[in-house]
Amino acid sequence: MKSAKGLILTLILMVALVAPAASAISAQENIELHITWWGSQNRHDRTIAVIDMFHEQNPNIEVVYEFSSWGDYWTLLTTKASGENLPDIMQQDYAFLKEWQSRDLLAPLDPFIADGTLDVSGVSDVVLGTGKIGDELYGLPLGTNSQAILIDVQAFEKAGIELPAPDWTWADFEEISLALHEKLGIWGFGGPLSDEALWKSLYMGYGTWAFNPEGTAIGYEDDQPLVDYFDMILRLIDAEAIPSAEQWAEYADLGPEGNPLVTGQSVMGYWWSNQIVAITKAAGEGREFKLWHLPRPEGGQPQNYIKPSQFFSVTTQAKHPKEAAMFINFFVNNMEASDALGTERGVPVVAAVREHLAPALSPIDIETFDFLARVEADGSPVPPPDPAGWAEIRDNIYAPQFVDPVLYGEISPAEGAAMLREEANLILARNK
Amino acid sequence: MSNSALPATLVGSKRRVRARHWRHSNLAGYLFISPWLIGYLLFALMPILASLMLSFTNYDVLGHNILRGDWDFVGLDNFEKMFYHDYRYWKSVKATLNYVVFAVPLRLMFALAVAMLLNTKRHGVYFYRAAYYTPSVVGGSVAVALMWREIFQRDGLVNNILGTEIYWFGNPDYAMWVLVTLAVWQFGSPMLVFLAGLRQIPQDMYEAASIDGANFFQRFWRITIPLLTPIIFFNLVMQTINGFQQFTQAFIVTGGRPLDRTLLYPLYVYNRGFVSFQMGYASAMAWVLLVTIAFFTLILFASSRLWVYYQGDEGKS
Repeated sequence: MKSAKGLILTLILMVALVAPAASAISAQENIELHITWWGSQNRHDRTIAVIDMFHEQNPNIEVVYEFSSWGDYWTLLTTKASGENLPDIMQQDYAFLKEWQSRDLLAPLDPFIADGTLDVSGVSDVVLGTGKIGDELYGLPLGTNSQAILIDVQAFEKAGIELPAPDWTWADFEEISLALHEKLGIWGFGGPLSDEALWKSLYMGYGTWAFNPEGTAIGYEDDQPLVDYFDMILRLIDAEAIPSAEQWAEYADLGPEGNPLVTGQSVMGYWWSNQIVAITKAAGEGREFKLWHLPRPEGGQPQNYIKPSQFFSVTTQAKHPKEAAMFINFFVNNMEASDALGTERGVPVVAAVREHLAPALSPIDIETFDFLARVEADGSPVPPPDPAGWAEIRDNIYAPQFVDPVLYGEISPAEGAAMLREEANLILARNK
Repeated sequence: MSNSALPATLVGSKRRVRARHWRHSNLAGYLFISPWLIGYLLFALMPILASLMLSFTNYDVLGHNILRGDWDFVGLDNFEKMFYHDYRYWKSVKATLNYVVFAVPLRLMFALAVAMLLNTKRHGVYFYRAAYYTPSVVGGSVAVALMWREIFQRDGLVNNILGTEIYWFGNPDYAMWVLVTLAVWQFGSPMLVFLAGLRQIPQDMYEAASIDGANFFQRFWRITIPLLTPIIFFNLVMQTINGFQQFTQAFIVTGGRPLDRTLLYPLYVYNRGFVSFQMGYASAMAWVLLVTIAFFTLILFASSRLWVYYQGDEGKS
């Protein structure tokens, strides 16, 4: 008995003695840098290639990575946050940057810029500004994209309809969608016009935004533009120029391969600009797609803006923040790394990288680069990051209580818009 | 042990020896069940109690450490919000009741029908018993749910067979049937119980009835059903509890859409807890579900006196 107890005690003591010593040794020689991101298989492959390059140059830094799909990512990271084992670097999204920062989970990157670890001199102020909250940088944008109407050029030709003007209005959009449907018998536009991102940028056309700058209330006074917009959607559904809610349910969860634009069931679709790569690939050889501005209100502002497609942020639970900044710096500035990454995360933010990539660009990449240049010339200023509570508004109010009941005809757009304002304000008021 | 200690032990009363023996054998018992016990305490009882506590808080996971306690007790706020201010809550209650009312009886009827088919002495009946049980083994799985999505698609198997063009997932009136048929198809475990019950019914009763000229339906209604009521009752209770807890199918096949018509209660709990991260609120919802299930189970038990017939019970009452 006694000897057994003694043995256990000795073992415990030994472990207790050895454990800190072991970690002390490894801290000097080798460190583990943890990183997480979401994305497709394509993104995983490219990112892992860059991680290998970084490890070759910094053999003492072992980069441990974990990735998942968008849906699982936030569950995973939120659980990690509550267990206080967030990775050193996490991929962040514009929709969540503010919420995470407000809960002290993200560390400012400014000290690393000051001490030269992180070089952001190649990033334009506008783009860099999207990662700032107040005056501090909480996420470095990795690429840019913008909302777009994807257009099947050949179908327009077949219908004998001219391509729309770059600054087309929603009235033009309605007319063209109806004409395309009439000529070709397919949907003029086959996508979710009720998407929450379109609600937000709708008000950009009127010089405001879905939320006020403080994120404490809805940012517009007048519900009428939203009501008019949904009236238009209902008219187009009635004319069978766009899919009804019932029909769209079949397509909502399909990837690019099953999208009506790809299968030739529609002439236009709504996507983020970097997704033209996936669409073109899914459609196969011989199809031609172009990126177009979102329509805007008559005489209104452009509804497009340059959006950071995603960020890298250093978390406050990082064990090696300095090395994390080193990795981010390598990721955005190193030319070899850029070759591996390409435009998969959107158009690269560093000017020198864009120039470096230019000679090897594919026609689709060129279309994407051009489109973003057009949006930069004719776009609205970047709106503030989504306020805390945005996810709840989107999941519990906008889609289930506003869009669905309106599109299925249970309530009128006017009733819906009033309810949306009231319910969203209740949630946003918590940010006061 | 040293020799000098021996006499002391011998002097000690028999009782003490027995007590020590008892303690030893108990200890061995606890050791044997310790893997289960630890699992139960750590992964069942503790989370259950924690969720009860959380249901009175505003705990929301993100950046809040549950052990450090940076959350507040909010009293009955979660319950008040649920009952009076959550539009989707009542939609999910309605969807769940809808589901249970249709899926459970249909599944039981189907299970009984199949069990009666398999309760025959035919060649290869053992093979069929195993084969018909398979859907239930794999039924809760993601793969089957995905398959269900495929066959109910617009150009899928169901529309082809029916010759229809129904948007099963988009039509608010039809979407629930996708889930109900999936539930019916997973008839295996009640079927097995029915089969065991059917084999308990003495054959001579059927023979006697046949001789008296009873046809199949008369035998079914007068012999099979009455003698099977305890089994039906057991299956009804188990399947009702099970029906209230359905998650996977709704999560994968319909996602609660359209118009929240298939937003089964556990799916809404999940959405609140793991999508919106309102753990306090989700915990409160989960406890209401627990009470609801207990309530329905009690009603079923109370009703059983009226319709469940236990053989050999006659003398008691």
